[in-house]
Amino acid sequence: MAYVAARGGEQAIQNAEALALRHLQTVRPEDIAWVEEHLSLLVDRVMGEGSLYAPQLAALALAQSGGDLAEAVLLLRAYRSTQPRIALAQPVTDASLTTVRRVSAAFKDLPGGQHLGPTLDYSHRTLRLELLNGTALQLPQVQQHPHPAPRSAPGIAGWLRQDGLLGTWPDSPSTELPDITRDPLTYPAPRGARLQSLARAETGGLLALGYSNMVGYSGVHPTVAEVRLAHTEVLLTHPVTGALFSAGRARVSRAEILAPLHSETTGLSLGMCGTLGWNETKLIAGGVLDLAMDTPNVHPALKEEFVLNHTESVEASGFCLHFKLPHYVTFASELDRLRSAGTALPSEEVTS
Amino acid sequence: MKLADLTHARTDYNYAFLDEHAKREVRRALLKAVAVPGYQVPYASREVPMARGWGTGGLQVTLSIIGESSRLKVIDQGADDSVNAANLRRFVARMTGVQTTTDALEATVIQSRHRIPEEELQTGQVLVLQVPLPDPFSYVEPSRSLARELHADSDYALLWLRLYEDLTLHGEVLTGADHPVLVQGHYVMAPSPIPRYDLAALHQAHHLTLLSAGREKRLYAVPPYTDVLPLAFDDVPFQIERQQGWVCQQSGAQHGFMNEVPQEDGRSYVLSDTGYLEKLLRQKRGEPAIIGARRKSQQDQPGSAL
Amino acid sequence: MTLASSLLLPPQLLQVGALLEVSGLQMVYGRVSAVRGVSFELYPGEVLGIVGESGSGKSTVLRLLNLEERPSAGTYRLAHHQDLFALSRQEQRAARVRDIGIVYQNPHLGLRLRYSSSGNIAERMLTAGERRFRVLREVARASLSASEFPLIRMDDPPQVLSGGMQQRVQLAKAIALEPQLLLLDEPTTGLDVSVQARVLDTLRHLQSERAVSMIIVSHDLGVIRTLADRVLVMRHGQVVERGLTDQVLEDPQHPYTQQLVHAKL
Repeated sequence: MAYVAARGGEQAIQNAEALALRHLQTVRPEDIAWVEEHLSLLVDRVMGEGSLYAPQLAALALAQSGGDLAEAVLLLRAYRSTQPRIALAQPVTDASLTTVRRVSAAFKDLPGGQHLGPTLDYSHRTLRLELLNGTALQLPQVQQHPHPAPRSAPGIAGWLRQDGLLGTWPDSPSTELPDITRDPLTYPAPRGARLQSLARAETGGLLALGYSNMVGYSGVHPTVAEVRLAHTEVLLTHPVTGALFSAGRARVSRAEILAPLHSETTGLSLGMCGTLGWNETKLIAGGVLDLAMDTPNVHPALKEEFVLNHTESVEASGFCLHFKLPHYVTFASELDRLRSAGTALPSEEVTS
Repeated sequence: MKLADLTHARTDYNYAFLDEHAKREVRRALLKAVAVPGYQVPYASREVPMARGWGTGGLQVTLSIIGESSRLKVIDQGADDSVNAANLRRFVARMTGVQTTTDALEATVIQSRHRIPEEELQTGQVLVLQVPLPDPFSYVEPSRSLARELHADSDYALLWLRLYEDLTLHGEVLTGADHPVLVQGHYVMAPSPIPRYDLAALHQAHHLTLLSAGREKRLYAVPPYTDVLPLAFDDVPFQIERQQGWVCQQSGAQHGFMNEVPQEDGRSYVLSDTGYLEKLLRQKRGEPAIIGARRKSQQDQPGSAL
Repeated sequence: MTLASSLLLPPQLLQVGALLEVSGLQMVYGRVSAVRGVSFELYPGEVLGIVGESGSGKSTVLRLLNLEERPSAGTYRLAHHQDLFALSRQEQRAARVRDIGIVYQNPHLGLRLRYSSSGNIAERMLTAGERRFRVLREVARASLSASEFPLIRMDDPPQVLSGGMQQRVQLAKAIALEPQLLLLDEPTTGLDVSVQARVLDTLRHLQSERAVSMIIVSHDLGVIRTLADRVLVMRHGQVVERGLTDQVLEDPQHPYTQQLVHAKL
């Protein structure tokens, strides 16, 4: 059957869709809840790239797509597109966070301490085969620390700034708030637009480019000032009383990366990447790229335009996969040129 | 008051899926595009329920201009029944209830990927072309910000240089589809990957052509009666695809852009425009068929027996 | 008129006196004054040399004359243009294409290394508006010939050519439209001595056959001596001495020039 079937196109796609979604016929709401609870970091990755905080919907997207990440992100983004905007939340500050994990590579210890939180950083990467036999997992009792970490320790950037080590740093946050989902992005991008792009960038893409910088391409010499995983209250202003109230809690994370400044003044530059959900790979790669993109004479693959354009999950995966579509007219046109070039006379004779 | 009182459950989609804000923005961008032929207008392209690269740009334009009295035709590679065209048509129909057709003369809006219908389009018809790479500089200068400066300076030397290189090294210009065109003597634009044979249909046309790239977030337009001329040296005639002697196996036609279909023992040809083919076949069978005028062909083009 | 000059707009008025006048040229980058009040003239058919060590500002002057940057202050009269610095971006681009040619020390600044050599020259003409393929080929041939480049290799990309050949391609590109002014920034630096000699020879022939007005920047006094009629000596952004090449090099007055001459020759 031809790819462009006569009279069969619509039927064909319905059949294809039914085959792909067959596995969903046995899915129950409890299964979606299972995904949400047990694959929470995957759910976080989908929410981060989908730029929509909705763990249940992200879990559904993953189940529906059979685990295809790019597909799940597309589902979430398309859904987001249809949702009305009802309010802008208050900016997330350190004070509104409940930090669950905060580590810094810059100092051995710092105010608020090195707070490991839940992490597999120091565990042995062995498969827990007992789980396949139905044996219960034996875990050591988690001990309460005699001095619990503060609810949210301040970042180390403030301390460095007081010491005069942080290059240029604005005194107060910008009030400009671009929205890359509403306004076309042009380069050089406003700071807010760059951070938004990084927040929802494709993790693998950021990792590849960030890694190239870390190993030496226009290398930045990064030091992680902090990686922080937290919950934040989503604070809205009540439309009638004007009071602040919490619309709920969301998982958020951010990293701040330090590197020496590339200019006549000595000091440090601070790179940053934040995202919805918890995704340490994205945070560190993104933070390093935030610094790399501003390095003078940086490698062409690390320029802002290159990084932000090519780490867009929905665009990249869509375009990549679109090559599957029929291209036979363009191909015919190309073949025509190649066939005629083979028989063509050298240019001088053609034009005389 | 609860948070739930501030919002409402979303059960239905807005007419034509996009919210009114999104549609208004696309229309404003379209007006700018029509006012400055060939100029790429940036717009905040929305995500829609299909993947980027699969026609989301064309789709957003169609959704923004479609109305209750519209009649929609959707084709891909010239075929109404291509799976991608069928999917897009299905989506718009679902979101608007619009009447759909395979007849290029009856349609008020034609969304197309990579072809322009064979029958000459008339005043009042709108052709929406799906564009993968809106910038003619894409292959020679991939940086979008640099390309924007080149357009602003009307500095197209790099595009002309590519023609020069092809002629010097290969004796022929090698651009297949998507050959850059000069619009109203000012901006050079990417006409989308339509074959060179279709470029004549953009020049001094009765209809309006809108071109949109969803992933690249830019749209542009060719208003009716606008000059659209392929970039070519004054002394090297522009070549369209060479299909002399090709005969459509189904209709017997010896004109129109054809697909080459490899066979075990050779090859056959068939008209790419399935709506047009359908009409020719009806005519052949003695059934009624209103067939539109043949588009004007290239002037003084050797080898353009099409 | 030659084929190439038939592309130009109506012939310029005959210039009596200086072809080029630069006055009060200044360039400040942050806290650094790269060029501090430089003024000079160039007469038709003349070769003016600018000599100095790196950091003297000579290359900055050349870049400014090539309209690559806007100076902090100064005026720049060239041929019929009253002040090139006062022109709009579009006007400057047009003037640069038609009236100024430049050869850089580093070919990758002046050439597209992966396009054909003839294509590099064609690009110049395409920017000037030429749309006839035949003419592009003929002018490329003529310019490459004048630059003593072997025509059999005219379609080779510069990246497969030797350093000396790459400079000839740059030269051909620079003179293709018979510009008013030819700028050369260390054109032979980095080339083998024998290759240098041959390229200098080509420049000398070009100069005598076509009476091209040139400004040549070099730290190499030998090059200056070979080509320049007059010379400016620059140091820390200023002209410290000027005059006929022979006079300045044989009998330098300024202590810095004396140092330069005795160290180099």
